[in-house]
Amino acid sequence: MTTLLRSARTPMLATTAMLLALAVLPATAQETGGVLKILGSGDIDHFDPASVGVVTSNNFIRATQRTLVGYDSSLDPAEGVAPKADLAVELPQPGDDGLTYTFTLRDGAAWDIKGTPRPIVAADVERGIKRMCNPVLGSSFLTYFVSLIEGMDTFCDGFAKVEPTAEAMKAYVEGTDITGIETPDDRTVTFRLKEKAGDFIYMLSLPSAAPAPVEILDFIPDSPDFRKNFMASGPYTVADYVPDSTLKLKRNPAWTAESDPLRKAYVDEIELTFGLQPDAAIQQIQAGDADMLYDILVPPALLPMLQATGDDKLVAISVGRTSFIFVNTAADNNNGALKDVKVRQALNYAIDKAAIVQQMGGSYVAAPQNGIFGPGVVGYHDFDLYPSADHKGDPAKAKALLVEAGFPDGIKLKMPFRNINDEPAIAQTIQASMKKAGIELELIPVSAADYYSKYMTNQETTKTGAWDIAPVSWSPDWVGGAARSVFQPQFTFDGRHQTYNYTDYNNDAANAKAAEAINAADAAQAGKLWAEVDELVMGDAPVIPFISQNVVVYHSDAVKNFLPYALGANGDWSNLWLER
Amino acid sequence: MSEAQLDAPKVVQRSSANLTFRRLMRDPASLLAAVFILALVAFAIGAPWFAGWTGHDAIEQYRDTGLSPVGLPVGPNHEFLLGADQLGRDVLVRIAYGARISLAVGVAAALAASFIGVTIGMTAGYFGGWIDTVLGRLMDLVMSVPFLLCALALVSVFGPSLWLSICVIVFFSWTTIGRVIRAETASLARRDFVQASRSLGAGNLSIMLRDILPNLSVPIIIYTTMMIPNSIVFEATLSFLGLGIVPPTPSWGGMLAEAGANSIYLVAWWLVLFPGLALLGSTLAFNILGDGLRDALDPKGRRVKRRRKPAKPVTEG
Repeated sequence: MTTLLRSARTPMLATTAMLLALAVLPATAQETGGVLKILGSGDIDHFDPASVGVVTSNNFIRATQRTLVGYDSSLDPAEGVAPKADLAVELPQPGDDGLTYTFTLRDGAAWDIKGTPRPIVAADVERGIKRMCNPVLGSSFLTYFVSLIEGMDTFCDGFAKVEPTAEAMKAYVEGTDITGIETPDDRTVTFRLKEKAGDFIYMLSLPSAAPAPVEILDFIPDSPDFRKNFMASGPYTVADYVPDSTLKLKRNPAWTAESDPLRKAYVDEIELTFGLQPDAAIQQIQAGDADMLYDILVPPALLPMLQATGDDKLVAISVGRTSFIFVNTAADNNNGALKDVKVRQALNYAIDKAAIVQQMGGSYVAAPQNGIFGPGVVGYHDFDLYPSADHKGDPAKAKALLVEAGFPDGIKLKMPFRNINDEPAIAQTIQASMKKAGIELELIPVSAADYYSKYMTNQETTKTGAWDIAPVSWSPDWVGGAARSVFQPQFTFDGRHQTYNYTDYNNDAANAKAAEAINAADAAQAGKLWAEVDELVMGDAPVIPFISQNVVVYHSDAVKNFLPYALGANGDWSNLWLER
Repeated sequence: MSEAQLDAPKVVQRSSANLTFRRLMRDPASLLAAVFILALVAFAIGAPWFAGWTGHDAIEQYRDTGLSPVGLPVGPNHEFLLGADQLGRDVLVRIAYGARISLAVGVAAALAASFIGVTIGMTAGYFGGWIDTVLGRLMDLVMSVPFLLCALALVSVFGPSLWLSICVIVFFSWTTIGRVIRAETASLARRDFVQASRSLGAGNLSIMLRDILPNLSVPIIIYTTMMIPNSIVFEATLSFLGLGIVPPTPSWGGMLAEAGANSIYLVAWWLVLFPGLALLGSTLAFNILGDGLRDALDPKGRRVKRRRKPAKPVTEG
């Protein structure tokens, strides 16, 4: 599964797009045309919406594919994460006690099949869901859908046994049905769920749930042939692609503005260039040679300079990404000290969150974080079970707890860290703050490639105690009502080890509350219940949250109407225009 | 070997070491280098004194005085003479403690490498035959292993540490001196004094240690001195790549790496300049001193360098 990448790479799946400061100026006259030039360091992970897993790729999907549900790109954080009908005529009210969702498709939305437009039909929607569990390259969000849509598990079990050739997969997809998805006519699609899920609408906005035309089945998912024969439903389509170098998008002739309430598509072409270093990319944008950043974040060191000169061109977007330290309760180091909740609580008291915020570049970039849900996620609320003045840590309290736990002389812990970007600096900051509480950290620098495979997701090294505590980070898999995508993969254990619940943490009371929250009728109720889940988990202190982090992006003078797109954590390519 | 001439009182009798020293003293570059190295050693030894004088510990983070509210380091000022680093630590104190690491690694690795190189080189050169072939190929083998690739692999298996750094450096630096010593030994082993010693009943070990080794002192001194800067740079390279000294222990290469990370060097020039100068100064000083030592210990070599004429091989009587 591609999930490993999910927490390992930088800007991950986004939640609330919250514009923190330096907003774009009100729109002047709209202009159509021009080439939008975007600079990135790495290539797009997947073209195939079914397998897209990185936040930055969501921007590409936004421009080229339509989904049933989407979002307005907006400066208003709340508006940016409010689900809107995209391919659907309107957002449906759930029927049958919250178990069914019936969508009516919009007229005029069409595929570009080798230059000829073809209407998007209900069967395409079902086909898109089916392709999520193809045996070649599945979706990283699969488990959420499989656990919700009726009959999808049987369908996927069968699909897993299919030979991974285009013909065999096509035959299976076209010949097998998911019982929970009905398409009575070309314009109507009905989903039947196994249980109530307030966040199902949000999940349909994911690229993985995008419709797929029947012609797409002629290609192995995301193969070079697939990329060459890319079939778009959004305003842009692939014109030219050189892997790891450039990607050019041109207008999709099959797309019409009237059929799309969410995208205006002002620019004529979009040109992405990959392989740039952050410094070089920012210099090019400052010089006006390029317009936007793709997967490059503004280095904190450059922030003050850009803030001083860049007025409205610097934008911080909150993505609900949190950084925290996982505590290894599975090993017996220090006589199993970390199995004692008092020691874990002592660690939570000891950490100096303010120092890490300062290290990250101040409040513009990061904020102290006390729970498992980041800002913008339904369920996030302001609470701190282990409070200290100005979030600077309370070494005295931590020491007292250690004494209570039977460690009057402090404790020695091993902490690996990824040896890239600012992570060594953060690790040393953590080390310095823990030291004040008598907690000695032995730092183990690990290459980025080895960190998850060798330490975190390797159950053997976890159980033998190769690490005691380890900094990790997480971004919710979708926006808004996304608490499930934070809680379930990391903090539940049903006897089957989950990759990102490194220590098999489980809390039955929290699980029960979470089930209630998922079934909650409205967002407010869900938020309250998830907040309780957060406090229940933090009471056990399986992790030490320290900051939530914003994505800081930059754009050129020429870019106007730079509105953040929540899923992509960047300005929306399909709604900005250029003024050169 | 000088012989005393009793009937010529004006001629001062000087030992070989004395002559070498006088020749060295006449070379201002070497003299300067030697002074720099002595100062560096004093700087390293006095690191705790600097810490006491500035009131700054090497790994303590001064987040209020050393960093701006948004986490940018302050430049050189009256409190931080060489500025603060990205974690609010004193660059001056860190360079002083880093000098300890650099010198310790440089000297220890150079000595260990030269010990191995001399042992293997002498064995190969003295015995010749299949021993020479095997050891010679071994040296070829070591020389053909890519340094960084191998270091990366070792560190990812064992985890970075000071000892591993020294071992890696030693492993990759003994071959140069090994080759030189092998060639010298091979030629010395055929000399008359060795034959004489053997005919008097001396064993192999005795000949190698008592007769040949003293004659190798010049190349050993020169090459060991020249290996120190290489080792310092090796260590800095390893630390720069995050494979050497584990943070927060200061090391010059690590300091440069931290300056390079996150574009911090664009706003904090002092993080690059001072550790860079320290590294440049010490490698240059050791190299110049090594050069000077070669000229002083082996004056014949010096004449060849001046290119009067291609020198004929000098035969000793």
